[in-house]
Amino acid sequence: MTHEMKNLMDADLSESECMLVDVYRQLARTLEMYGDELPPFARRNGLKALAALWQVMNGLDMDPGQLYHVGA
Amino acid sequence: MTDSPYWNPRHETMARKDVEALQVRKLRNLVEWADSQVPWQAKRLRDAGVTADQIRSLDDLQRIPIMTRDDWMQGQVEEPPFGSNVAVPRESAIRYHMTSGTTGKTPIRVLDGMKDWEWIAEMWCYGLWGFGVRPRDVLFVAFGYSTFIGFWGLHYAGEKLGCLTLPGGAMATDQRVKQIVDMGATVVASTPTYALRMAQEARALGIDLAGSSVQRLILSGEPAGSIPATKKLIQEEWGARAGDTAGMTELGTIMIYIEEVLDPESDRPVAHGEMGERVVTSFGRGFIPVMRYRTRDLVVKVPGMSCRCGRTWDLYEGGIRGRVDDMKLVRGTNVYPRAVEAIVREHPEIDEFQIHLYTAEGRRDEIEILVEIPDQEADAGGITARLEKELADAHEALRFGVKQVDLGTLPRFELKAKRLVDDRIVIGTEGERRAQV
Repeated sequence: MTHEMKNLMDADLSESECMLVDVYRQLARTLEMYGDELPPFARRNGLKALAALWQVMNGLDMDPGQLYHVGA
Repeated sequence: MTDSPYWNPRHETMARKDVEALQVRKLRNLVEWADSQVPWQAKRLRDAGVTADQIRSLDDLQRIPIMTRDDWMQGQVEEPPFGSNVAVPRESAIRYHMTSGTTGKTPIRVLDGMKDWEWIAEMWCYGLWGFGVRPRDVLFVAFGYSTFIGFWGLHYAGEKLGCLTLPGGAMATDQRVKQIVDMGATVVASTPTYALRMAQEARALGIDLAGSSVQRLILSGEPAGSIPATKKLIQEEWGARAGDTAGMTELGTIMIYIEEVLDPESDRPVAHGEMGERVVTSFGRGFIPVMRYRTRDLVVKVPGMSCRCGRTWDLYEGGIRGRVDDMKLVRGTNVYPRAVEAIVREHPEIDEFQIHLYTAEGRRDEIEILVEIPDQEADAGGITARLEKELADAHEALRFGVKQVDLGTLPRFELKAKRLVDDRIVIGTEGERRAQV
């Protein structure tokens, strides 16, 4: 799962930072593709976690864009 | 890393050239987002000939039209209730807040989505962590928890940091003071005025706040948190360090933005060290994309290197110095309420005060300062005489009348203090009638 990753500023991310980026991307993809299939507790908690992880992406300068289309 | 002095070391210590490159990148994204999602913004950008791909340096910022409060209000009139600067359907919003309405009567209304609201709290985290607030702290929020945004973001930041966060809403002042002491609060958030009000109440209750566990005060909502004499008084009353924060309902609490300082008349940038008006571009709130928002706050920007904290961000020396529209013209002399407060607060015997402007003999501007001096032993006559002289010396010999009034006569404030009462029926010296009497 671990791999090299650079941010917008061409700076290397640490291994632990890369792992968080992967989690964010997987969560975003899951909610985008399967959000409607999830029961309310799973979707809404997933969105709340995604909104929090967006702050990590933003703080790492990974250009996470907007999340309104997913519901966050 | 848990002992880092920085909430986000990557951002806070980034080389200046990288900060600017990042700002350009974020600005380009913001212009693209606003252009594609908000017809009102798209028209403004088109009229100015600005497209996202043309944003290549911070100099390109100057080409984007400045946005004013009037623009916002007009948008609310044309597309009620939230205005024409909303990028996302209302159904995606989870928060609604509005201004406290100190400048205009109709409030500005803002909406936030889930990640926007997290971002608001995130911005507070930068400030709180930088000021030394840590998960072990007990944070008391002395705030009314209404639709006024106030300390809402700070509350969520406190939870995010891991502090034991005490919501101090719907409580009388004596109850708040007792809970701060009883719960062993180490950090208290309030307006500067209310910090002083709580100190007064503590004295009346026989509580020694300076001997309490409070170590830090987070101030916001009024310029007074950056007035040295007021800040000193608050710190002495509480025996704690006070830190000021700047925020706006329209923008959030300000940490990671593009901050311009412009001459309020010409809209041209002023040099470091010169006073001008803050004009802010915000990156975190996609719901209401705000570019070059005119704040009316007066500031003096200095380079980040002037501080030894290691952060590379520019600083506002002396915090918010006042507001462009705060200034009053009295018999040809500019009077700033902040400057008056700075002088009044040099007299700790004065508990509360009010700046009163009125028209004498139907034609002449007069200014008087009403003061409460609770200590019966104090030399009230000497204090008022000294204050009159100090105020005149600081205002081109303008005559100020300083009058002692009975204790409890002047209003007390929980949120933004309104210590200036302008009862003039004419302005200037030639009897020009005021629009609103």
